[in-house]
Amino acid sequence: MGNILIVTEIKDGVIREASYELAAFAQKLGGDVKSLVIGSGIAGEAESFAKKGGGTVYVADDASLANYNVEGYAAAIRAAVDASGADVVLISNTPSGWDVAPRIAAGLDIAFVSDVFDFQDGAYIRRVFNGKLDARIAVPGDKAVVTIQPGALPAFEGSSDGGTESLSVDTSGARSKFVETKVAASKGVDLSAAEVIISGGRGVGDPEKFKEVIQPLADVLGGAMGASRPVVDAGWLPHEYQVGSSGQVVTPKLYVAAGISGAIQHLVGMKGSNFIIAINKDADAPIFEVAQIGVVADLFDVIPALTAALQEAKG
Amino acid sequence: MKILVCLKQVPHQDARLDIDGAGTWIKEDGIKFEINSYDTFALEEALRIKDAGEAEVVVVSIGPDRVTQALRTALGMGADRAVHVKDAEIDGSDALGIAKVLAAVAKEESPDLVLMGLMSDDGNASAVPPMLAELMGVPSATAVMKAEPEGDGYRCERELEGGALEVVDLAKPCLIAVQSGLNQVRYASLKGIMAAKKKPLDTKGAGDLGLSGTVGAAGAKAQIEKIYAPVRGEGAEIIEGSTDEVVTQLVGKIKELGLL
Ligand SMILES: Cc1cc2nc3c(=O)[nH]c(=O)nc-3n(C[C@H](O)[C@H](O)[C@H](O)COP(=O)(O)OP(=O)(O)OC[C@H]3O[C@@H](n4cnc5c(N)ncnc54)[C@H](O)[C@@H]3O)c2cc1C
Ligand SMILES: Cc1cc2nc3c(=O)[nH]c(=O)nc-3n(C[C@H](O)[C@H](O)[C@H](O)COP(=O)(O)OP(=O)(O)OC[C@H]3O[C@@H](n4cnc5c(N)ncnc54)[C@H](O)[C@@H]3O)c2cc1C
Repeated sequence: MGNILIVTEIKDGVIREASYELAAFAQKLGGDVKSLVIGSGIAGEAESFAKKGGGTVYVADDASLANYNVEGYAAAIRAAVDASGADVVLISNTPSGWDVAPRIAAGLDIAFVSDVFDFQDGAYIRRVFNGKLDARIAVPGDKAVVTIQPGALPAFEGSSDGGTESLSVDTSGARSKFVETKVAASKGVDLSAAEVIISGGRGVGDPEKFKEVIQPLADVLGGAMGASRPVVDAGWLPHEYQVGSSGQVVTPKLYVAAGISGAIQHLVGMKGSNFIIAINKDADAPIFEVAQIGVVADLFDVIPALTAALQEAKG
Repeated sequence: MKILVCLKQVPHQDARLDIDGAGTWIKEDGIKFEINSYDTFALEEALRIKDAGEAEVVVVSIGPDRVTQALRTALGMGADRAVHVKDAEIDGSDALGIAKVLAAVAKEESPDLVLMGLMSDDGNASAVPPMLAELMGVPSATAVMKAEPEGDGYRCERELEGGALEVVDLAKPCLIAVQSGLNQVRYASLKGIMAAKKKPLDTKGAGDLGLSGTVGAAGAKAQIEKIYAPVRGEGAEIIEGSTDEVVTQLVGKIKELGLL
């Protein structure tokens, strides 16, 4: 696959796990691997990545790059593409990755393939229609910017024999400016401590039904209520109930997903649960992939009956 | 102040998805379409800016005839004008092709602000907005949960993982791709729908935009080779039977887990 450039991502001063997953993806593609580390005071991390799969690592180390900024990062990536002669640029599909990656592809006038989880027989594989179908994406010209879904493949654990090269980046003239990062406010509902979570999705239909159907099942098991994003977007429940990549990551003993399709952003928040029961009227819903038990039925038939039976069993 | 809102029309979220004969997309006949959910939030945001002061809201959508329905809905909600880009030559474009078409429209309109969705509910690429910003040469932000005027531009809050936010200032002209849930979307009123009938809806082709031969399937650098039902792993044990039978099994399992 020619020359590959891995764009790593720094979080709290260290290279993220997802960047080592990019190194694993680069191995899958096969080709000459080089990398880029962007940030401020990150030379040590860059040296270490050069030995752990990154090959030659370009270092864009500048105070103006201490925080993510789309124009600054784009300038750094462009400089590294020039220096490495990269054909394929690999970037993690994280909030900074999806923000900058398409710009690079448009600037270079090459293919962009996003949120890829595999590479098979010469094509990139990604989900479409919110996880319901897969697509094989071919890139006839081979040149592409590709973002990789975090967690899609195990981190690279081999070694590489590379050094570092500093890269100068001109960040003046940027018309966007990083102001600050706001950490999530402390939550009224802490789902991370709950042993049982009964989560409802868009399939629950309205806020009243959460009270009438979902809450009683949570109550009988002494558990908490959770929700998918559309429920929170619609204002049916506050944000602290949201499970997923932009909500809470939970690991209860029992997670019940009712009327939730199982989009990847929801799955990353709950797939670490000890036992998952999914209730969905669509037999093909992706949620059944991560569940231990699946019930293909109307949640309004199953849940009230289950709540009543549990009540009875408790005596 | 002029705001350009990019709308994609996508299969209804509950539509049945059957793969077409070529195996590269879904069968579109017989299914319902709607405005991409993320784009409804973008349109609402534009209408709120308009409500708060002087602004013209122009909506644009690329797609076949059915797309006029989405544009009419947007006009009914309060947009002032619509541009429908329709051309068989554009079919099969990849995201970069779509971004090039939108950039040509943006060049004609020269908006102060472009609002769009973070991603589409069908392609899920989250590709077009940053591409369009790059082609326009303007700053941009994606997954925006809040945008307010600040200085000569907008102060945006971008969503990060786990509920954190990143605050970023963008100088105008700029492009903002919104995340779902940043506002509550209004409905088109009957009065709005009646008024929409008189609002301008222009149709343009690739030639009108000076793009002949540069977009469409032939120009696509990323090509969908095939779409298919995912190869599922082991998956769940599906329990079947009457509601009573299912419930009995579930109660048994919950007891086994020591949760009763
Ligand atoms: C950057 C980003 C971050 C995101 N973060 C999150 C996040 O943190 N958490 C999250 O959840 N999502 C998140 N999302 C959204 C995610 O992509 C999906 O849109 C969302 O998870 C879908 O929610 P849902 O399953 O409730 O709705 P849908 O996908 O609409 O599914 C509804 C399901 O209910 C079923 N159903 C309907 N009626 C019934 C019934 N009566 N009985 C049984 N089943 C029924 C349907 O068959 C369908 O499967 C994020 C998206 C992006 C782009
Ligand atoms: C028959 C068919 C064949 C296709 N062939 C290919 C192919 O060969 N290669 C390929 O990569 N893709 C192909 N596509 C996918 C298609 O071109 C995508 O629409 C394009 O890649 C944009 O990606 P997306 O829809 O995921 O948009 P995203 O980048 O996820 O959309 C983000 C935002 O961009 C705006 N936007 C996106 N599309 C439009 C639009 N049409 N009009 C106005 N605003 C819009 C909206 O604001 C939207 O919220 C095909 C689609 C069809 C129907």
